[in-house]
Amino acid sequence: MIARFLFVLLLAVPLLFSQGCSQPDSNIIRFGLSSSPLRLDPRFATDATSSRLNRLLYERLTDFDDASRAIPSLANWQQLSPLRYRFVLRPNRRSFNNGERLTSADVKTTYDFVLNKKNASPHRSSLVLIKYVRIIDPDTIEFELNHADALFPSYLVIGIVSEKAVQRGVNLDQHPAGSGPFTMRDWPEEGRLQLQRRRDKQVFEFVHIGDSTVRTLKLLRGEIDILQNDLPRELVNKLRQDDSVRVANRTGSNFSYLGFNFLQPQFADRRVRQAVMHAIDRKSLVRYVLGGKTRVAESILPPEHWAGNDAIKAYRFDPGQSRALLKQAGYDAEHPLRMSYKTSSDPFRIRIATIIQQQLADVGIKVELVSYDWATFYGDIKAGRFQLYSLSWVGIKSPDILRYVFHSKAVPPDGANRGHYNNPLVDRLIERAEREADMDKRAQLYRELLIILHDDLPYIPLWYEEHFSIVRKNIKGYQLTADGSYDYLSEVSRQN
Amino acid sequence: MKRPLLPILVCLIWVLLAIVGPWLSLDPNHIHLQSILQPPGSASFLGFDDLGRPILDRLILGARTSLLVSVWVVGLSAVTGILIGTLTAYIGGWLDLVVVRVIDVFMAFPGILLAIALAGIMGPGINNVVIALSVVGWVGFARQARALTLSVKERDHVAAAVSMGTGTPRIILRHLLPLISAPLIVEATFGIAAVIISEAGLSFLGLGVQPPEASWGSMIRDGARYMLVSPHMVLAPGLALMLVVLSVNLLGDWLRDVMDSRLRQAGSDTC
Amino acid sequence: MLRFLLYRLFSTLLVVFGVSVMVFLLIHMVPGDPVDMMLGESARPADREALRHALGLDLSLWVQFSQFMSGLVRGDLGVSIHSNRPVSELLLERAPATIELALAALLISVVIALPMGVLAAVRRNTLWDKGAMAFSLLGVSMPNFWLGPLLILIFSVGLGWFPVSGREYTGSLVLPAITLGTALAAVLSRMVRSSLLEVLGEDFVRTARAKGLPERIVIWKHALLNALLPVITLLGLQLGVLLGGAVITETVFSWPGLGKLTIDAILRRDYPVVQGTILVISVTYVVVNMLTDMVYGIVDPRIRLGNPK
Repeated sequence: MIARFLFVLLLAVPLLFSQGCSQPDSNIIRFGLSSSPLRLDPRFATDATSSRLNRLLYERLTDFDDASRAIPSLANWQQLSPLRYRFVLRPNRRSFNNGERLTSADVKTTYDFVLNKKNASPHRSSLVLIKYVRIIDPDTIEFELNHADALFPSYLVIGIVSEKAVQRGVNLDQHPAGSGPFTMRDWPEEGRLQLQRRRDKQVFEFVHIGDSTVRTLKLLRGEIDILQNDLPRELVNKLRQDDSVRVANRTGSNFSYLGFNFLQPQFADRRVRQAVMHAIDRKSLVRYVLGGKTRVAESILPPEHWAGNDAIKAYRFDPGQSRALLKQAGYDAEHPLRMSYKTSSDPFRIRIATIIQQQLADVGIKVELVSYDWATFYGDIKAGRFQLYSLSWVGIKSPDILRYVFHSKAVPPDGANRGHYNNPLVDRLIERAEREADMDKRAQLYRELLIILHDDLPYIPLWYEEHFSIVRKNIKGYQLTADGSYDYLSEVSRQN
Repeated sequence: MKRPLLPILVCLIWVLLAIVGPWLSLDPNHIHLQSILQPPGSASFLGFDDLGRPILDRLILGARTSLLVSVWVVGLSAVTGILIGTLTAYIGGWLDLVVVRVIDVFMAFPGILLAIALAGIMGPGINNVVIALSVVGWVGFARQARALTLSVKERDHVAAAVSMGTGTPRIILRHLLPLISAPLIVEATFGIAAVIISEAGLSFLGLGVQPPEASWGSMIRDGARYMLVSPHMVLAPGLALMLVVLSVNLLGDWLRDVMDSRLRQAGSDTC
Repeated sequence: MLRFLLYRLFSTLLVVFGVSVMVFLLIHMVPGDPVDMMLGESARPADREALRHALGLDLSLWVQFSQFMSGLVRGDLGVSIHSNRPVSELLLERAPATIELALAALLISVVIALPMGVLAAVRRNTLWDKGAMAFSLLGVSMPNFWLGPLLILIFSVGLGWFPVSGREYTGSLVLPAITLGTALAAVLSRMVRSSLLEVLGEDFVRTARAKGLPERIVIWKHALLNALLPVITLLGLQLGVLLGGAVITETVFSWPGLGKLTIDAILRRDYPVVQGTILVISVTYVVVNMLTDMVYGIVDPRIRLGNPK
């Protein structure tokens, strides 16, 4: 008797807790993020999520077209001389989110701040060629350079912050003061950021959900409306079969690669690097593990880039050639080539790394996989504590990335040449290209450079990852961009 | 409980597979990209995982991991713990007071938490897991060995040996240990079950085996990520883990019953 | 009596001190340079020295320890490397979630274990008994990092009754609490059963039956209350297991409590936070055990009167 009573009680308990139809506020459009934004101050933000959100909150002087050429955004420019550029702000520009007009004083404040060594802005290194920023009138600014660089306008992509906000000591990470199409409405807890579209007051919530399964389920249940990237392909395929969501994908320009450490004696031998290159079956990886529109890459600049080279012959997957090269370099079964392969603790990266580890093992290379949390991993990479590592370059636009990554003087903290690559020919070409004022000739020089880099293999080029979005059927207007930005959120609306 | 045939069988299979594993023609690390996430079927008894590796083969590899770790950890903890426990109980005095306090401090940490912290700080890898779990595990053995020794050290034949002038090591080895070994064996059996779960837990959190090595815990973690599309990937290692741990626990239960009844028959006054 | 309580308090304080020492040693015996990990940003030697000095790492181990202890007493547990917030603030923020989970797990396990244990004892050797023991064995053998995903698979993904993870809705508590509570229920039901069996064989029970009291009252009013004493002590001990199990359960369900904080901090090498959480969890465990011991001591006349075992 007691038993029966207790049994009924037990059944009732879970029902008491059952999830009611506590459907979230249907006027908010929710965007699922796989990583939290770190900094909403564009003078400091470097991670992809923060940069993408900052594009919604702030405006910049220049932007890029599909071929990654610089185009006017906030301002039109005129090159007065090789060392002087004049920028005129667009007359019908947006004001700051606090109502004040954006003037050249704000531009000067922003750039002076970044240029000031004391502020330790990570964007400083791309702007050191600026000698002086001069205000001509509230709508006009002049930049004076230390040396000529025909690509200068493409470096001016930092979000412009409000001078008055900075003077008032506002913490821009908590209260972004920009003139972009969105403003920040609220940031109640770390995982929920609310932005509001200025033109129609539509609220967007950016929710951080680390687990891909949870993100998928939330989308299927309507708790989230939009997802972009960061899902295993198998989950995406499953979502394709669901009627409540729409999947779209497109090619991307984010470049995944493996980096060598040239201070390690085994990698100084080019045959070893080539052996590793031939041992990796990129086509199979792309076909079976990555998304449909991912493309095998041969160089850091994609072929559609204005300075890209679409005529580079792809490396063949050739384990036999690998083995032959390794033998020539002095390795065999008794003395195998050994290396450690460092990656972050992102399960997707580990998955790729395990496959590559196996492919290298197939030609006799013994690879030890080491994975760390992002902060430790990134610190190790920047400090040169690695042999082989894998990473991606996100948001490459300007070919000055080539100097940043491959010039022998660009070793951290002066650049991102983490492997201490040193090739005088490469250095010379980079410097020559920088001095070239004619854009066509410059592009030609870059194309030559990319071929040399392809032969010399400081990086093993892997692929350009695709971008995909999964959107609930009643959300209209979202589109993907080549670099995975969220810009089209300014066009998105919910239709019921 | 009558003879637990099924648990013994399961344990035997587990140990056998773990030992013989490397000699079987298995393919646990071989990646077949075309077979990614294929469900159980004709190609493979338990299907393939997210890298196209056969799950059955990886399960056997995982069995090896769990056996090696549990044997090492229980071995190390038991030897250390029993030694310390019997010595300190026998010698007594201030040594005993100090050791008891140390044991108390160790017991103040929820075991798995300390193991996680240690493994996390030392870094990932199966060796560190063994060390971490041993550091946590010796305390249980020490405590029990001490209690048992205390209850036994006043016995007649021990007193006789002492009065004959036998050295301490000999007394401990020849006279004390045989008396207290039975409950300790039971403890060790349960210890094995606990370590299997703990190692799997640490691997689940990412602190144990590193790719491409396999552990049932890391397999469960990887499998949980594909739960929506391929549940077989998380069910297989979980079932294996549960079966083995259950069998070891049942074995321990049975051993304890056997020991208890033997003690009752002998009519001794131990608890 | 008072002597017993004071002695217990004193030994607890000793243990707490020992715990602090251990936690301190744990963190400071870390292989690798914490400064390297923190600065990451390719640091120049001058920056390294500055940070080392700021963190007090250039002082001797003794001085560092006394600084650590004095900070502890004041409630200052340092600052998180990852989020730059005071550790004590983080702990206070996340503690409610864990307390909620632990209490719910406790409730569920008691609700399951008590009736089950009583039934098993009362209907000894029948199907009820065998079933209860089987459930108990199963519960102890099933790791919560598998039970969790299993429950999610069935009840969230399959049936859609509960959310998959997180702490947003009222229903979010159910699956994590069941996951965490099952192992405890398994152990508890066994204990209830054996304790009740022991009590049922005692004289005063026979007396009560002889007096003609209905069986229900005999069991629930007289026997059970006495049987519960050792069970309560067990609960105190099991709290440690509960707290340890919470770490994994919170990870499986992304439950924003102390357990998940500990794991995230360990994986991110955020040592001040690791130090803080381990300390807090251990001290809680120690204190709860002390209280349980004291309660038991007050209630159980054998201990109160100092009966040597």
